[in-house]
Amino acid sequence: MTTTTPAAGTKTPLIPPSTHRYAEVIHRLEAGGSMLPDTPENLQQIIGIYKAYAVPMDFYWRDLLYIAEQVFLNPLPAFKYFISQEYLDRPCSYSGDQSQLRIWRGGEKAHPELIEFMERGETRRMPKLLHHLWHDRVNMEFAEACMQAMLWHQGMGGRFNDYLASDAYKANADRAIKAYFKGNPLMLGLYKLFPDMVLEQVKQLSYYSNLGLFWEVMAPVFFEMSDLYDEGKLTSVPQAMDFLVNGIFAVAGRPIYHHVFIRGECFEIIPKSEGFTWLYEAALPYVEAVFYRTSPFRGTKSYNAQAGQVPANQADFHYGILYADVFPVGSAGIPPTLLMQDMLHFLPPYLQEMYKTHRRGEEDQLIQLGITFQRSMYNVTSAVIQALRCALLYPLDDSDPEHLTANRQFFEAQMDRFLRPEARLPDIQTQDYR
Amino acid sequence: MTLLLLLLLPLAAGLVLPLLSPSRPGLVRGLAAATALAQLAVGLLACGRQPPADLSLSWLPQLGLSLDLGLDGLSLPLVLLTALITAMAVLASPADQGRPRLYFALILATNLGVVGAFLARNALLFVLAFELVLIPTTLLVAIWGGERRAGAAVRFLLFGAVSGLSLLGGVLAFGWFGQGAAGADTAVSFSFEALAATPLPASAQRWVLALLVLGFGIKLPVVPLHGWQPISYAEAPPPVVMLLGGVVSKLGAYGLLRFGVGLLPEAWSAFSPEIAAAGAVSAVYGALNAVAATDIRRLMAYSSLGHMGLLVLALAAATPMSLQGAMAQVLAHGLIVALLFDCVGLIQRKTGTTVIAELSGLMNPIRGLPFTMGLMLLALMAAAGIPGLAGFPAELLVFEGSWTVFPRATLICLVASGFTAVYAVRLFNRVGFGRLDNNRADWQSTRLAERLPAVVLTTLVVLAGIWPAGLTAWSEASTAAIALRHSDRVVQQLALAPSPSSLSLPA
Amino acid sequence: MATILETALAAGCFNTLLAAVDAAGLRGALEGPGPFTVFAPVDDAFAALPPGTVQTLVDNPAQLARILKYHVLAGAHGRSALVGQPEWSSLEGAPIPIRRSEPFEVKNATVVTADIACDNGIVHVIDRVILPG
Repeated sequence: MTTTTPAAGTKTPLIPPSTHRYAEVIHRLEAGGSMLPDTPENLQQIIGIYKAYAVPMDFYWRDLLYIAEQVFLNPLPAFKYFISQEYLDRPCSYSGDQSQLRIWRGGEKAHPELIEFMERGETRRMPKLLHHLWHDRVNMEFAEACMQAMLWHQGMGGRFNDYLASDAYKANADRAIKAYFKGNPLMLGLYKLFPDMVLEQVKQLSYYSNLGLFWEVMAPVFFEMSDLYDEGKLTSVPQAMDFLVNGIFAVAGRPIYHHVFIRGECFEIIPKSEGFTWLYEAALPYVEAVFYRTSPFRGTKSYNAQAGQVPANQADFHYGILYADVFPVGSAGIPPTLLMQDMLHFLPPYLQEMYKTHRRGEEDQLIQLGITFQRSMYNVTSAVIQALRCALLYPLDDSDPEHLTANRQFFEAQMDRFLRPEARLPDIQTQDYR
Repeated sequence: MTLLLLLLLPLAAGLVLPLLSPSRPGLVRGLAAATALAQLAVGLLACGRQPPADLSLSWLPQLGLSLDLGLDGLSLPLVLLTALITAMAVLASPADQGRPRLYFALILATNLGVVGAFLARNALLFVLAFELVLIPTTLLVAIWGGERRAGAAVRFLLFGAVSGLSLLGGVLAFGWFGQGAAGADTAVSFSFEALAATPLPASAQRWVLALLVLGFGIKLPVVPLHGWQPISYAEAPPPVVMLLGGVVSKLGAYGLLRFGVGLLPEAWSAFSPEIAAAGAVSAVYGALNAVAATDIRRLMAYSSLGHMGLLVLALAAATPMSLQGAMAQVLAHGLIVALLFDCVGLIQRKTGTTVIAELSGLMNPIRGLPFTMGLMLLALMAAAGIPGLAGFPAELLVFEGSWTVFPRATLICLVASGFTAVYAVRLFNRVGFGRLDNNRADWQSTRLAERLPAVVLTTLVVLAGIWPAGLTAWSEASTAAIALRHSDRVVQQLALAPSPSSLSLPA
Repeated sequence: MATILETALAAGCFNTLLAAVDAAGLRGALEGPGPFTVFAPVDDAFAALPPGTVQTLVDNPAQLARILKYHVLAGAHGRSALVGQPEWSSLEGAPIPIRRSEPFEVKNATVVTADIACDNGIVHVIDRVILPG
């Protein structure tokens, strides 16, 4: 069920126009569009940044799974970012010839631009350790910060979090922990003393796996969108959004699991048979945690707790990319400074040109591309909103006014989340916001 | 020759500038900067070798006005400061300065007047030069100032005129009552030697000193004579304020030192408790108003007022150490206030405003003004008296030197000095940190040419902080010679003991 | 009367559903005594899902089972019983809201034919696949 647009101008609207502050955006959503206005500049910007995002994302998901499955409970994981060749070559399930559901036309191994960057970095060819110490590498800390946001915010729908507190999980984890630390009396003793601490580490690792499996899908989706745009097959923002919606549905049933490999043996800490799905246990919590909530801006700003400047209710957190003040502050998390630095290395030429001619040109490229990224994430959020509407509500061209009203209420409820002043929704409606 | 050269350089350039073609503003600016730098070079050369001999040319003997020029330990550092800050003010002026020929000519005219006043060894010549400064500075405020420049210029002119008149009256009275009363038939000579040689009767001294204090107190300024200062500093273009605050106000300090402490010691000692009190009040008034200020330029104007209060306290105490401190404060404060206003000028030019409430997040490394803000932080720290920067040795000497004579006033000034940290931190917190408004951040970052004056001044501020002799050594002998009281022996041993330094000049 | 699955097979428009039930391994459960209330989506409902959706689910039995269990209630409830309660708890665990009674709407699906009685329960035919959330 793609979002179809009603035949323009052939009938009067069945329900009166919305009176919400974002009525214009709501009407656009009801017509099958995105929160981001449909202009060629917007399209160019978001496709370019999707491609720039997908290359480091390729590393993120591979390394997340590497950490979740191989590094596991290593107490001193100094080399967790030194991904093994096996994981660089691990076939992506959605690209490559071997894929059952091929989304991207490209190969299944790590993207060639990524490999090239890992060799050379911003400086020059050096031993990996030197690259790592000089921090001339992909900023994996960003991925970990996203994971921690999901871990910390917990109850955002889906069964994943509840399962982590269940006995079945504890039993699985226990088996894996004992196997991992076999022959290590110190760590086993620590486990006996502080079982919950080690269990908590395993829960965090399960979230690593969750996020890795989530991004394994998103990377080929973005690559394919960029390729389609280069071919000229993607010509409007709603089309780009529709591609995302179709992608979301196609992969919605993907299982989310956590398998650990200890000395060659596979331990299923979260087996596939638990029935966790990509849509409910990974995608929706991720959007909620990283796009909407995350954690307060760690920049040159202090919050007065007594004055309630940080909401007491976690659900009211508004520090995600959709609300972010896109200035680099150097820390992981949102604003996505580290991600912006990563994306800078993989910008397509048309975006580089665009940034050079604006304001400080190359000097403030990071902010410019950060704002572009924010726009693109509004588009992704629109796709999620449309997908939810498609799954849980009614088609846009439904003829029943009550159905349309239900759709309207859903959209309005989503837009209510952007009523607060920090929301960037009004800013992205114009091209001035750069 | 050196002395004449110091005067001829700005004079010649000031006359040539209006003749240059208006279509080449770069040339005009370059010539003005080159003149000031040449003046600086000449001054530096002068202190290398033997100090230049005093020059004395007869001009108007009937009036007792002769062109007596000389450099000593008090005036040389000030001449160097003037030349430097003039150069920096010229370089800090924007490249697209409106009406550049007139503007730079007026700056050079101010420079001429101030250097003339510092070089003068004749009181009437001094007054002449002092008056000469008034018109160019008023025009600079009136023509290129901010929105309220008309009111600022009027106040500036009024106060300046009163200052000049009372100074003239005081000097004339000094000459006539002193020498005239001696009943000589020869015309009154206003040269410093002549004035020093004929002391006035005690009551006349007090009148004369009162007039002089009025005149110089307006120039510094000191509370309650400061009415012109905050608005003038806030409305004049920042490069002009660099001159006003860094150089022109030092005329007042120099005058009080030369005439008050130097030539009218008895009256000065008699009035010194009141003067010290005025200094303390000034310091506190300036600091508190700076804490409450809503505009950066006003904040810095009041900060300057507060620092002048410390200066006045040191002058009132008149021990060798406090006078050293006064001279150090003159130099340090001149550099610091010039640097502060240079940074403010950059902020104003880039963001369009200096209202604190409208600014935030300027330290942002990508879309803010990180370089400027970094230097401004240094300048604010220096103003607060952080060790390692120029403000510290100056304030240390002032407090140590004045403590034994006026303990209460010194304590009050110490507290006021503590307040500088308050407003410095508040200012920097509001303007530098926090969230930069992306919608308004549409300026280009500062280029090397724009940064140059700030870099030079910062280097000197840091240098003076780690090598305090650079501030005090010039004038040690001179200040020791005119000191009215003696430093406490204990304090003297603890503090920088005056030692003959290659820089120091004979009294 | 036939069992639920036999009824579905006989109707001829539930091929996708039956294939899904087999793939998810729920045949045995649905052949049991029950009783169950099953909201059965027609083939067109599955076809209306974006391409690849059903294939991914079919490849992953546990996940498919979850979606299918969301279409089943414990106990046999007819339309009149169903409309009496605003929400019913599915076998999957998530609630199924009854949004309208006239026309009979279950979540965002319209019941095309209600109250098809079977040996081990009641089947209501719906025109969309309903999803939890």
